[in-house]
Amino acid sequence: MDKEKCLHHWEMVNVSYGYIITEQCFKCEKVSNYFTQEHTPPLEEYRDGEHFWNVMKSDQSFKFNLKCSECNTVVDYDELLGLMMCTGCDKDCEVDIELKKLEAERIWVYVAFGFLPIGEKKQLSDEKIKILEDYFNQRRRSSNSSIRIISHEKVRKISACYAEVIKDVNMVSLTAPDDNI
Amino acid sequence: MKLQKIVESLDLKPLTKVEDNEIEGVFISDMLSDVMSNAKAGDLWITVQTHKNIVSASNLVDIAAIIIVHGKIVSEETIELANRFHVNIFSTPLSTFQLAGKLVALGLNPG
Repeated sequence: MDKEKCLHHWEMVNVSYGYIITEQCFKCEKVSNYFTQEHTPPLEEYRDGEHFWNVMKSDQSFKFNLKCSECNTVVDYDELLGLMMCTGCDKDCEVDIELKKLEAERIWVYVAFGFLPIGEKKQLSDEKIKILEDYFNQRRRSSNSSIRIISHEKVRKISACYAEVIKDVNMVSLTAPDDNI
Repeated sequence: MKLQKIVESLDLKPLTKVEDNEIEGVFISDMLSDVMSNAKAGDLWITVQTHKNIVSASNLVDIAAIIIVHGKIVSEETIELANRFHVNIFSTPLSTFQLAGKLVALGLNPG
């Protein structure tokens, strides 16, 4: 199949599980994160040039590629930290505005996040974000809802955003069934 | 099989507004990364997790309904989010194993 003419039917391949490590330099307070497939997340402090990195947290997550089953094109998602569903917390944020426009049509808005520091690490291209959106929409069964994925660059103030990136952190519920209280 | 039939047969307690859906299969996992990579659209998702991000992961891959086992309490925050984004959540006092057995007996298969 000619890759240029292919309509693409994406499937998730090369899924690998690991940890997203978030660390901070105690001198300059810069925050950085990366994905690792080590069996246990690293905890040690280390020095890298001017920075003294300390691990802040490690969250279980996964990485993957998308492959077109028709033309065998493979797109890697090495730059993707994770996806976050917008719940609409800031009326001046472009993502919130987009959600309010689309919500009535049952189009849910997700934000694709890259790794920190944003200015220093390669971020997802618009083309990759569109392919990711196509993949999750192709995977859906019903036509009465769909998703839109947009770049984190549209978030007005990430530090104040109410939503959370989907990853396996803080997932352990501390609530007990009624009869145990 | 229709969701409503499963709800009635297993006496599942609705925690949200319910939209009847066709159930295509069953997916059991307590990890969101697993759901995002392996669950199929139309699956019934069985989990012990109650964090609000179950709604985000469920919506992303078009899960038909979530069943929280062991009667775990789901926060108002999660329920509000699920209602807003049309995600069905049910609760049962059964364990994952007990519930899976009953779903198999009803004729449901892995997704």
